[in-house]
Amino acid sequence: MYIELKNIQKYYGDFKASDNVSFGIEKGRLVALLGPSGSGKTTILRMIAGLEQPDGGEILIDGKVVNNIPASKRGIGFVFQSYALFRYMTVFDNVAFGLELQKVPKDEIEKRVLELIELVGLKGMEKRYPNQLSGGQRQRVAFARALAPNPKVLLLDEPFAAIDAKVRQELRSWLKKTIEQLGITSIFVTHDQDEAIEVADDIIITNKGRIEQMGTPIEVYQKPNTAFSASFFGQPSILPDYKKFHTFEERPGAEKAFVRPEFVKVTKKNEELFYKDSSVEGTVEQIFFRGDTLELLINVDGVLITARRGLDEELVNVGEKVDVFIYRIFVTEGEKAYLLQNLAIREESLVI
Amino acid sequence: MESVIEKNKFSASEKNYSEDSLKKDERGRKITKYVLITISVLFILLMLVLPLVSVIVNSLKEGLAFYFKALSTQYVLSALGVTLLATVIAVLVNTFFGVVASYLLTKFNFKGKNVLSTLIDIPFSISPVIAGLSFIMTFGRSGWAKPIVDSINSALGTDIQIVFAIPGVILATIFVTFPFVSREIVPVLNTVGTDEEEAAALMGAGGFKIFRKITFPHIKWALVYGIILCTARALGEFGAVHALSKTRGGTFTLPLEIDALYMQGSADSITSAFAASSLLVLIAIAVLILRNIFEARAKNKS
Repeated sequence: MYIELKNIQKYYGDFKASDNVSFGIEKGRLVALLGPSGSGKTTILRMIAGLEQPDGGEILIDGKVVNNIPASKRGIGFVFQSYALFRYMTVFDNVAFGLELQKVPKDEIEKRVLELIELVGLKGMEKRYPNQLSGGQRQRVAFARALAPNPKVLLLDEPFAAIDAKVRQELRSWLKKTIEQLGITSIFVTHDQDEAIEVADDIIITNKGRIEQMGTPIEVYQKPNTAFSASFFGQPSILPDYKKFHTFEERPGAEKAFVRPEFVKVTKKNEELFYKDSSVEGTVEQIFFRGDTLELLINVDGVLITARRGLDEELVNVGEKVDVFIYRIFVTEGEKAYLLQNLAIREESLVI
Repeated sequence: MESVIEKNKFSASEKNYSEDSLKKDERGRKITKYVLITISVLFILLMLVLPLVSVIVNSLKEGLAFYFKALSTQYVLSALGVTLLATVIAVLVNTFFGVVASYLLTKFNFKGKNVLSTLIDIPFSISPVIAGLSFIMTFGRSGWAKPIVDSINSALGTDIQIVFAIPGVILATIFVTFPFVSREIVPVLNTVGTDEEEAAALMGAGGFKIFRKITFPHIKWALVYGIILCTARALGEFGAVHALSKTRGGTFTLPLEIDALYMQGSADSITSAFAASSLLVLIAIAVLILRNIFEARAKNKS
């Protein structure tokens, strides 16, 4: 493990920002700290950087305990959420700042800075000031500035939060590609699940100061192992009583059930209906146009379920009666979550 | 999707009704605007501009030759010297103190921070005369600090007097102009936040380097503005200095000299008083112009 946190505790007064946080990150990985606001993800990042001190536990970078090493000596590049670019310095001076502090010879600084500015695609803008740049360009400068002193670890706090949707999409793929090229171990904080899934090699899910789950995006998405991760991903609807949607195996002790839109099949009355016996009838309450899909809110016996239909399928109308079939659900038992498959599908496959 | 279209239709039918009331609103706003402009302009003309113009007019009543003669008397020149000396020292001291205090108040958290912040504002709320009297109580013949000053004098063989002497005038000027610089800088530092400094520190910059390269450029124009206000106030201070300065031609500042000339009551001395006043008015106008230039620059920069 290149970066390792062992039983980290952090309090702000009475508030527990980190509750026994432990995880390890391998060299060269791009990791997302994902969680709702107030879940302690930024605190973790700032403690790794040395901007905050943990109240207990150890932080290791490259096998060395860094708790007592000042932030500037940890070999960390940090991209702040607001970028924190030096407003009264040009792009060039911003990127050069860290190198100047390390007393790197002038011609080397110039070479490295111009190289980085080119890497982030801002060639020709060296002499501009931050307020003459767009949000996305500022972010790139912040990125170049963090990389300039050749850090061992790159930390990014909500790197895309302040950028508009279209540019954000571009920047995400650009950042992923660039970090892969450089092979630098990186951690970024985000509250956006799509962003984490798209960009990260590994996702660490945080909640209430604790680590809920860590794994690759596919793992945490498909196999949430805590109640929180099951409810956090996708756009889950809550089923207070999943037995209503028969043909799910009963699990004693199960408390709540979550169903994601992609687990729900909505069939119009005039369409062919598979699994007739395990479908239930519902009424379309609301329709949202999501660009590439239609999102439906369906009322099944008082329970609201979110589902999707493609634009190539026949349109449904508000108030229409439809059949709803649920492929699978997550049930939670205390802190744990389990995946349940609809038995109807299994029987079918047995027959075949 | 269909419901969205219906909603649009509905808001279209509301349009005619709201256009009328919009026009009415606009007319109302216009009337309010002109009434407020009239009140403000009249008030400023009557209360501020006319009195100042009358100072200039009165100062020139006996002609230019008299004007310059009045300004070049020994008393006026001495007063001008004392005023400038007190102003320069007060501005230097308060600039240094103001920057230090603002940095402390915005970058650090400590117990009693609010109390300290309030204490800095005391000169704003206290009457300058009281400030002057309090210096007499401290450094005067029966003041508690008098023995300390005396012992310093005997140790160094000097003869420093504070009360009724130039040092007292300077102290009083420093006292009344104390908060100006810090009051300009603190809000700027508060809005700028600590992000940039944190970023610089993370890259290994030391405290002084951070101040010079990151913090100072932010506060530069606010600092200039604070210094200008501090200067203006120091030049015009009367009350606090009045309590501590009793020698015409020695420790008198320009405002005190003006008062003395006016109190003599002869036609000539009154015109001389106006002539001396016109100096302060001209300096004040210059300060105002400077202020506006710097304000505009600060705005352009941000």
